[in-house]
Amino acid sequence: MTANLSAPNRPQIVDAFDAFRQEFDDHNDRRERLIKLSRDVTNLSKKVIFLLHRLALEAAEDDEQKGIDHAVYQSRQKLAEIGQLFEQMSIELQGENFWRYQKTVSPGLQEYIEALSFAQYLESKTLLSFQQVQDNLRSPAGVPYFPLGVPYADYLLGISDLTGELMRFAITSIGRQGMISQKSLDEAVSMCKFVRDCKSGWEPMTAYIKELKSKQDVTTSCLKKIEEGKYFGTWSCITRSL
Amino acid sequence: MDEQDLARLSQLLDKDVELGEKLRDQATELDKKTRVVGGVLSKIHSTPAQSIPALVDSARPMLTDCQKTIAAIALLVPPHEFWRWKNTWNRQMQSAVFAAALLEYLSTRTLLSLSRSSELFGIQDEWKDRFYLQAEDYLLGIITLVNELSRYCVNAVTMGNYDEPLKISVFVKDLFAGFSMLNLKNDILRRRFDSLKYDIKKIEEVVYDLSLRKLMG
Repeated sequence: MTANLSAPNRPQIVDAFDAFRQEFDDHNDRRERLIKLSRDVTNLSKKVIFLLHRLALEAAEDDEQKGIDHAVYQSRQKLAEIGQLFEQMSIELQGENFWRYQKTVSPGLQEYIEALSFAQYLESKTLLSFQQVQDNLRSPAGVPYFPLGVPYADYLLGISDLTGELMRFAITSIGRQGMISQKSLDEAVSMCKFVRDCKSGWEPMTAYIKELKSKQDVTTSCLKKIEEGKYFGTWSCITRSL
Repeated sequence: MDEQDLARLSQLLDKDVELGEKLRDQATELDKKTRVVGGVLSKIHSTPAQSIPALVDSARPMLTDCQKTIAAIALLVPPHEFWRWKNTWNRQMQSAVFAAALLEYLSTRTLLSLSRSSELFGIQDEWKDRFYLQAEDYLLGIITLVNELSRYCVNAVTMGNYDEPLKISVFVKDLFAGFSMLNLKNDILRRRFDSLKYDIKKIEEVVYDLSLRKLMG
């Protein structure tokens, strides 16, 4: 009657749960390391974006493409440093672990892509492509940090934030100029078209990628601000020519 | 935006949408099957002790039936993408573990191990980074087992089965000791673990009631 009662289960259970404990501890430790790495990537990427704003605005004031190129060059140097962090991330994200921790590293990845795309826009007025992101996120030896590829969701969300930076850049450069130059007005016009094209390109995908919808709303409000800046600039130019 | 780029992104997106739908269909299938087993097992609360083995035997093939659906899911998942899609089916796997573990308890009064569960569900080693029984899902299924046993404990007494409660008590305390070894974060496993103390309390009360009336063997 009492035969099944006491001993048999306990050792088996203790062993099993000891293994579970180990597994969960490893997972939590890894997650902590990746959270930290993602934060570091985010911080450095934000610094690059601030750097670009600062240098590019100064260059715009001096009306020098050379200045902008220099800003871009410096930023690309800094972005390359972030590569070391991705290298460390890569070690933790082997095989199935990539998708296990993708959400953990997502914020850093998106911020990095935003910085990269901002640099590219200032350099060539083009949008960083998905393929370019894949090509960029490789070690100096050419080995991808993320062998399974950078997720398209992170790419889209990262470049979606670009419109916010462009808006800031456009408004600040118009503001800084005081009396609007035709050049900066032209810049605002082309930026507006650029953002509009991006927004319509991304629209079909908002249904499938969760956070994209709210970013699209931000993009729309950025677009409006650029348009208002353009409007203001247009009047300013007209006034000057009278 | 670059035309080619946009086309490629749309393509990748469409592929994932399609895969998601197929996986959800299979998960629904699995859900149906686990509910069938669950339905049969819910009868334990009104089945006298001597008829339990027959009930258990009738439920076993239903669990084996899940193997086909599980295999179908495993083959759909692309390599390395287990964690990308697992939320599609994790609830159903938890139910399946619960059912299998309950059957095991009723047959042998022991804990069904994770590896034995995997075998029962026909999970292959070579599926490793696409589909496997993950520790958290297994443990959540086991917690459901404890929840169910605390209820069974009460109903067993009602049906005149005075031996079962003490067996349940010992078993559940062993499990609780195991769970207490884990360093849990504030997630679902932690919350479900916290609920175990209510089950233990209920079981203790039943055992106490029985011992008061000197009804235990």
